[in-house]
Amino acid sequence: MLLFLARRIGVMLVTALCLTFVVFYLTNLPAKLETLAKTQAGSRISDAEVVSWLERNGYNQPMLLRYGEWLGAVPGWTREADDGSITGRCYRLASVTEPGAAPVRCGLIQGYWGNSTRFRADVANVISARLGATGMLMLWVLIVMVPMALLVGVLAGMREGSRTDRSLSTFAIASTATPEYVSGVVFIALFASSAVGLSPLLVSWGVIEGPVLFQGNARSALEKITFWNFFLPVMTIALYGMGYVARITRASMTEVMTQQYIRTARLKGVSFGNIVLRHALRNALIAPFTVIMLQIPWLLNGVVIVEVLFSYPGFGWVLFEAAANNDIELLLAASVVAVVVVLITQLVSDIGYVYLNPRIRIT
Amino acid sequence: MMEPLTWPQIFAQLGIQFWPVWVALVLLYAVSIRYRRRLGLYGKLFDSKIGMFGFALVMFWVFTALFADLILTHDPLAQFSGMRNAAPGSALRDPGNGYPHFLFGGDALARDVFSRMVMGAREVLRIAPFAAMISFMIGISLGLPAGYIGGRLDTGLTFIANLVLAFPVILLFFLLVAPEIQNTAIPRVMAGILFLMPVLFFTVLLNARFFTQPMKRNLYVGSVLVVGLWAYSGLAFNADPLGVWGMSPNLLNVFVAVVFVNAPTVFRIVRGITMDIKTRDYVAAAQTRGEGPWYIMLWEILPNARGPLIVDFCLRIGYTTILLGTLGFFGLGVAPESPDWGSTINQGRRLLTVYPHAALAPALALMSLVLGLNLLADGLREESLKD
Amino acid sequence: MTQKNRKATELHKAAHLYARECRNGKLSRREFLTRATALGVAAPAAYGLLGLTGPAARAQTPQMGGTLRMQMDIKAQRDPRTWDWSELANVCRGWLEYMVSYERDGSIQPVLLESWEANEDATIFTLNVRPGVTWNNGDTFTASDVAHNIERWCDASVEGNSMAGRMSALSEDGKLREGAIEIVDDLTLRLHLSSPDIAIIVNMADYPAAVVHPSFTGDDPVGNPIGTGPYRPVSHEPGIGAVIERNPDHTWWNEGNGAWLDRIEFLDLGTDPSAWMAAAESGEIDLTYQTTGDFIDLFEMVGLPSSEAITASTLAVRFNQMQAPYDNVNVRRALQMAVDNAIVLELGYNDLGTVAENHHVCPIHPEYAEMDPPELDPAQARAMIEAEGLADHEFELISIDDNWQAATCDSVAAQIRAAGINIRRTILPGATFWNDWLNYPFSSTEWNMRPLGVQVLNLAYRSGVAWNEAGFANAEFDTLLDEANGIADADERRVVMLKIQQIMRDEGVLIQPYWRSLYRNARPNVLGAEMHPTFEVRYQHYGLS
Repeated sequence: MLLFLARRIGVMLVTALCLTFVVFYLTNLPAKLETLAKTQAGSRISDAEVVSWLERNGYNQPMLLRYGEWLGAVPGWTREADDGSITGRCYRLASVTEPGAAPVRCGLIQGYWGNSTRFRADVANVISARLGATGMLMLWVLIVMVPMALLVGVLAGMREGSRTDRSLSTFAIASTATPEYVSGVVFIALFASSAVGLSPLLVSWGVIEGPVLFQGNARSALEKITFWNFFLPVMTIALYGMGYVARITRASMTEVMTQQYIRTARLKGVSFGNIVLRHALRNALIAPFTVIMLQIPWLLNGVVIVEVLFSYPGFGWVLFEAAANNDIELLLAASVVAVVVVLITQLVSDIGYVYLNPRIRIT
Repeated sequence: MMEPLTWPQIFAQLGIQFWPVWVALVLLYAVSIRYRRRLGLYGKLFDSKIGMFGFALVMFWVFTALFADLILTHDPLAQFSGMRNAAPGSALRDPGNGYPHFLFGGDALARDVFSRMVMGAREVLRIAPFAAMISFMIGISLGLPAGYIGGRLDTGLTFIANLVLAFPVILLFFLLVAPEIQNTAIPRVMAGILFLMPVLFFTVLLNARFFTQPMKRNLYVGSVLVVGLWAYSGLAFNADPLGVWGMSPNLLNVFVAVVFVNAPTVFRIVRGITMDIKTRDYVAAAQTRGEGPWYIMLWEILPNARGPLIVDFCLRIGYTTILLGTLGFFGLGVAPESPDWGSTINQGRRLLTVYPHAALAPALALMSLVLGLNLLADGLREESLKD
Repeated sequence: MTQKNRKATELHKAAHLYARECRNGKLSRREFLTRATALGVAAPAAYGLLGLTGPAARAQTPQMGGTLRMQMDIKAQRDPRTWDWSELANVCRGWLEYMVSYERDGSIQPVLLESWEANEDATIFTLNVRPGVTWNNGDTFTASDVAHNIERWCDASVEGNSMAGRMSALSEDGKLREGAIEIVDDLTLRLHLSSPDIAIIVNMADYPAAVVHPSFTGDDPVGNPIGTGPYRPVSHEPGIGAVIERNPDHTWWNEGNGAWLDRIEFLDLGTDPSAWMAAAESGEIDLTYQTTGDFIDLFEMVGLPSSEAITASTLAVRFNQMQAPYDNVNVRRALQMAVDNAIVLELGYNDLGTVAENHHVCPIHPEYAEMDPPELDPAQARAMIEAEGLADHEFELISIDDNWQAATCDSVAAQIRAAGINIRRTILPGATFWNDWLNYPFSSTEWNMRPLGVQVLNLAYRSGVAWNEAGFANAEFDTLLDEANGIADADERRVVMLKIQQIMRDEGVLIQPYWRSLYRNARPNVLGAEMHPTFEVRYQHYGLS
């Protein structure tokens, strides 16, 4: 088991290393650096100013060397000003200027995640704050999505081919066929507009006090999550993710329902409800469990659209902002986080599978 | 100045405009149902109501894309003064000889929503199935040996596939579809590698089968190489001497990114199925017959894996359609005035609360196509399980 | 008091001239105010010259206190002189004030300067510093602080310092010219210009001209908020928002005339107006920063009336004459001819402005010379393109991904296409667009208003200037422009201007479809927050009723 974990962590490190290098390469192409200089120093600056800005900020060295700096394997660049004070990668990160006051190397290995150029802040702070916000969103999505998906899947799979099965399956398929950018805007129009949809009706009936039923903007959820400001973003993600889990559950359930022991139980005269709850459910939930775990990194993707749509600044939003502004170190950190999330969920899903299914043992 | 149309009139007009589609659908269904017993898995599809319905939805859009020029009422890029955000059924101010109404109204730039939706079908169906197909060929070409041979090859390929899958898709798109990247060699190099795969795939496929009959082999492989490399030079390097094959750098970039995202998933599916099938008796029989590994992979394992692959192919076209829309949502990729559904939804959604028609028409189109593909996949799955 | 008296009696001669023009209808009132006040005539006096009284004091005085929430982009801060977005300046306006301010009515009002005067030929300016102004760290604001700021502005070695160009009459070799500033006493200083420049004071109202404390060396005016204004920052998170509160430890020089609000919260809701709309509907914002297109009506529908500012801001859909096929004047003329500017205004900008005439001089500019509308003949356009052998050529029109700019270009492209000429559109994201904006063969650029017609022409169309994105090099044009720059009288200048405008037209420099009006939507209880022609958000004067 320990060996298994060690190997998994090893793979994770190598993956993260490869991935960050690809990201580093793609964000440090000359044209991308020019974009960075223009977003940082002024969009209408001349080419000469771009060159001098890049040089002053240490972007003029070979790419591999700078990747090493970011990792912390290579000493950070330094430059001495006319008055004897020193600037450099590590000096900026530690915000000191006296010679020798900053460490020689300052990269990931030393625990420095670098600085975000978009947010003018420590990358570690930006990422942790935004990840927290997304964590809340994901938590609620899972709380809504999982029971809903399992319920739909189990009800549909209980009696294969029945009318319930047909209608629930079609619902599940329809929900996977509706991407977030469609359902999100339809929800806003239906529930969060004072001009069309339900809200004006409800207002005229005197059912709701405010102008709209739900808020079409989740910014206020940063301070305080309420049912009203979080409902739409959560539903948008949950609905799209739900269909897939429901279909897996249904498939798994139909398979279990044809097993010998279920038939035996039925022949023994156990009531249908009892069979489903006592005998079928546990075995039918193994497959959905792994799928739900694997669904998490995928949700992290869907979150980008929803967070941008509802202007909720979470991890997906940071990813979007960092990519749109070529914020190199923030992108690198975000990809590290993404890899870790993907691989940890895979690990949990593998281990969970073993615990749920005693027939498999990890060797 | 004509009167605006009422909703029943709009639907009647729609029915008339779509006539080529109705004719084609009726013909297709009549022929298919008549000969369904001779048509294998495709024929069995007509035993399942769900499958038939899904197939009808898909074919509706396929025929719409094919006959788009006959169906549309206006130039999808033309703007008509006075028709900004016009309601569905509005009459044109000065129709001239053209069609007098905007059936689904006008968008924020006074273009005809209906014509854009129809033309959008062509845009979407031009990219999505083709991209899914290339992804499949790559996934199959790499997944078969990874699953069949295993060992180092498997470890290496699986690692690369997992690497790509660990990337958040959006980040990948932002990195690959950015305009700065277009001017570098990266998309060309990637296209060079990715588009080579189908050519190799068919070459090896035919070579493995016919290498005992050199005459036939030379003919088949030769013609595949000629056509394949011709298309390859045009698509990947924009160097087609005859100028038939070609892709704008922008489209190529989108295409490469979509294929790059999809291929690893297909690879994993194919690898899994291969590992399962290679333990079957007929594979062992082929091995004892002394067949080469490529023959076994391509002519013994692959045909037996077709069921799940066809199902996944249908789903993947739908997923690719959604993915292209996502690109449109973030303003990446496709040409700005392009009527493709993702971009039109994104443009229309801004004014959704007051002028819902501009976004709803393409949104419903996209949903119905993806729904159709999903139902089709479901029908196929059910019928193929009955074997 | 003595200074005020002096002003009332010794008005600048040119100001009288301007007043006459204005009365004769040759000079718009806005323009008159801009130019007269730029020469040192106080606004009430300037109104007096017109025989008008100044606008009545605000009908309703805002109540003290309250919190205002405004939608506005919050970007990472940097050194004020390198600011390239008005939003960067707007956040800091509560503590970083300006020497002078540009008002909605077009006048220049003194802020940290109390008054100024120019000599006859506008080469020597005497600036009188407002007495009694203190920095919020307790220091007194003096003439040497003004000199320090001007010196900062002249330093061209700082990347992106756009003030350096505005202060060129005071600088030499990228630095402040020796002897350009003469400090007379604690509250008086004199500027010696190398050439006449009546715009020098107007330039001090531009958003990068925020006045900073001598101790300001870094590049973050929020982290180190020493200023003269009544507010101070509480938090500032790029992409998310900023919170500003009244500074309880500081007495503002202008106390009683503003700083009504306790707290201002800026919310960055991204660039998508439908997100702002959703926020307004759920009551999360009180006003927008700038509303465009259909959203003006939409916000009004949900109870946020709009305010308008008429400007000489525009979108220049220009050709780069260095690049084929736009090096051919017939091609440029043909494309111009294919486009009906009125339809572009209707479809691309919702008719929220006035039609322009392809020469980048606005009717609200004093020297604007009236011309026939540009020729419109799509058939002829197609024939000319064919004659140049470009019948099958696919033109490409590039724009930034901003909503109204993209829509305008789509509209231009649709008309060119309707004339039977092949064209395709390319949209680049904001971060990328500026990489190459000077060199795109055919693209659009947003130009904000400048008070004088010659100013933009000097900036963008003179041979070899830094922002000459059209690659326009025409010796005759340059000579005429030099001539126009030396003529103070608008009537006389207009004669030259007509020739200049004609050259711009004949050379087919750009398709310039319209002059924009700018809009902002605010709840009815928000006072003093009308849209400003140069996007200023002076929240120290905003209030709630």
